[in-house]
Amino acid sequence: MSTVEAVVTSIQGLSASSSDLYALHDLLKGAVDSLRTDSELQLSTLDQLDPSKHSLGYLYLLDVLAYGPVSKEKVLLIARFINACDAVQIRLASEKFVSLCKRFKDKVLELRDPLLGVAPLLAAVHKVQVSTKRLTALHPDCLQLCLLAKCYKAGFSVLSDDILEVDQPREFYLYCYYGGMICIGLKRFQKALELLYNVVTAPMHIVNAIALEAYKKYILVTLIHSGQFSISLPKCASTTAKSSFKTWCTPYIEVGMRYNDGKISELEAVVVANSSDFEKDNNLGLVKQAVASLYKRNILRLTQKYLTLSLQDIANMVQLANAKEAEMRVLQMIQDGQIHALINQKDGMVRFLEDPEQYKTSEMREIMDSVIQRTIGLSKNLIAMDESLSCDPLYLGKVGRERQRYDFGEDFDTVPQKFSM
Amino acid sequence: MAPSSSSGLTFKLHPLVMLNISDHFTRVKTQLNPPASSCATGNNNPSTGDATIPQDFRVYGCVIGAQKGRTVEIFNSFELLLDPTTDTLDRSFLEKKQELYQKVFPNFYILGWYSTGSEANESDMSIHKALMDINESPVYVLLNPAINHAQKDLPVTIYESEFHVIDGIPQPIFVNASYAIETVEAERISVDHVAHLKPSDGGSAATQLAAHLTGIHSAIKMLNSRIRVLHQYLGAMQKGDIPCDNSLLRQVASLLRSLPAAQSEKFKEDFLMEYNDKLLMSYLAMITNCTSNMNEVVDKFNTAYERNSRRGGRTPFM
Repeated sequence: MSTVEAVVTSIQGLSASSSDLYALHDLLKGAVDSLRTDSELQLSTLDQLDPSKHSLGYLYLLDVLAYGPVSKEKVLLIARFINACDAVQIRLASEKFVSLCKRFKDKVLELRDPLLGVAPLLAAVHKVQVSTKRLTALHPDCLQLCLLAKCYKAGFSVLSDDILEVDQPREFYLYCYYGGMICIGLKRFQKALELLYNVVTAPMHIVNAIALEAYKKYILVTLIHSGQFSISLPKCASTTAKSSFKTWCTPYIEVGMRYNDGKISELEAVVVANSSDFEKDNNLGLVKQAVASLYKRNILRLTQKYLTLSLQDIANMVQLANAKEAEMRVLQMIQDGQIHALINQKDGMVRFLEDPEQYKTSEMREIMDSVIQRTIGLSKNLIAMDESLSCDPLYLGKVGRERQRYDFGEDFDTVPQKFSM
Repeated sequence: MAPSSSSGLTFKLHPLVMLNISDHFTRVKTQLNPPASSCATGNNNPSTGDATIPQDFRVYGCVIGAQKGRTVEIFNSFELLLDPTTDTLDRSFLEKKQELYQKVFPNFYILGWYSTGSEANESDMSIHKALMDINESPVYVLLNPAINHAQKDLPVTIYESEFHVIDGIPQPIFVNASYAIETVEAERISVDHVAHLKPSDGGSAATQLAAHLTGIHSAIKMLNSRIRVLHQYLGAMQKGDIPCDNSLLRQVASLLRSLPAAQSEKFKEDFLMEYNDKLLMSYLAMITNCTSNMNEVVDKFNTAYERNSRRGGRTPFM
């Protein structure tokens, strides 16, 4: 009893200034074990504390309480705490906060009410983040809840920052994978492609299940978005990825190859043949979207070959049922902005036009300006990364080893194999 | 500071002398204090990039030229070593050099000596006196190697010696002499060359472009600051802090009226189109640059962290 009361009073007393907070933090760290065994600690003791002023102490007590069984009341209490707590105090004990939030998420999932956890976790992410460029452990959890609760817009707001620093690779994989799925849900295929690309080309020494799933979705999203499939991974992908992904994703690669050929009927045959695989991976919806996008790709190809075309011809070439369907699809594409065309309904002719953007407006100037500024910022980061890599002892050791093979006489000193720091 | 000379001689200094002295100083400084990065080549400023380590050393040498009537023209110079034990200049070397120069330039003879430093010391007087047997009234050229960005004039002073009565004893002291810079066409070209070209690559297209753009940038910056001053002035006048000056207002109005001569819609469109074209070009250049950087980063990363990198046939790059 006395420990709990003592702790409560010290929390109330020492939550004012930053130096007091450090003292309080040490005290709490020492008192954790005794608090855990103390049965006096109930939810009611927390009523004596104010979550926004005494965040650090509240956090520790909540953490001890959260080990117990699931109850909706506890979950609501944690949610209220996360919304109300003070970011500065929380950052002193960020690992405890993160573990508390993770347990909160698990409990929310057990209660089968993910919507409850979306808003608190969003707030939690912003509070724990030291800078907007850094990935925290809470990002993937937040995105996971958003996915399960189907509130994609909330998840998308988390994705809008560029992440430049990552602590744990697993968090990064999960973040990009869930983020890609959210973007697919919002039909923003460009951003989804970027995120999934990040997972696929992330450095890895052994094959990663997350990356594998991401690769499958990556293939499908490339088909939907850009209409092309290339069997080889980009240069920056790790060698493990390059060698092992192909063996694990054969049905998807087949889909991709058929897509490249451009025949709808063959593609549909392949899809039907492998539908059980797609079903298992929950990707059947994406595959169907990919098949639908093949029509779009074929029509797009037509714009590059012909200036004018009749609707019946379009229907024949793209293997659509009749001219009416062709007209509907072309209209849809014009509205989406994917092609520029003029449909003459009197004689059923479609005239394909050039991109009307003349780059004459001042809005375009502002767009260019902002894009250039962003590129300058990214370029600075890239140069800094380049410099730090050049000084990396691992890199220098390997390059030095290769340099020794060249016989330049006395001019070059042999580079030491290992740098002892 | 030394009082000004009353000898009535006019001095003319050639830039070659200054370049020689600064080059000598820079070379010795670099040799004593080799920098970690690439050495600075000799340029017009008499110091290397980092003037953080003040070396208290001085370089010495002789100046030669011709005197016609009351005009003393200093054309050239050469280096001498100071003998630290006797604190005099190396006499035999000086005479040897003098003979050599006499053969090439028969009209020139030793006019004096030079050194680097901030002020003339008493010890310099002994060197000065030693030279008096070659030239009865030698000159002392002093170059101050410290870079002072606020200073607008050249850090070169010319001293003569005069006998002044101090404490009842006539003593020679250094007095300041005024001088003018005189250039020959060849010297003007070389000074221009040194002043405008950056010492890194020298003359390649990229540095010339950079120099050109830097010039434009500084011009625009100056224009911007001047317009800002005018703007503030007009704002203050509007508020009433400063009494209205009508003639100034008229000048500003005429300046503004002479701005863009064309104001039509077509002009705006064409102007924006060209502007956007230029932006697109620089964007393209930037993206290409970034992509090549990214490529290098990826290659370096792969060499460093991939377990089985390809062997042989790959050129290592730094």
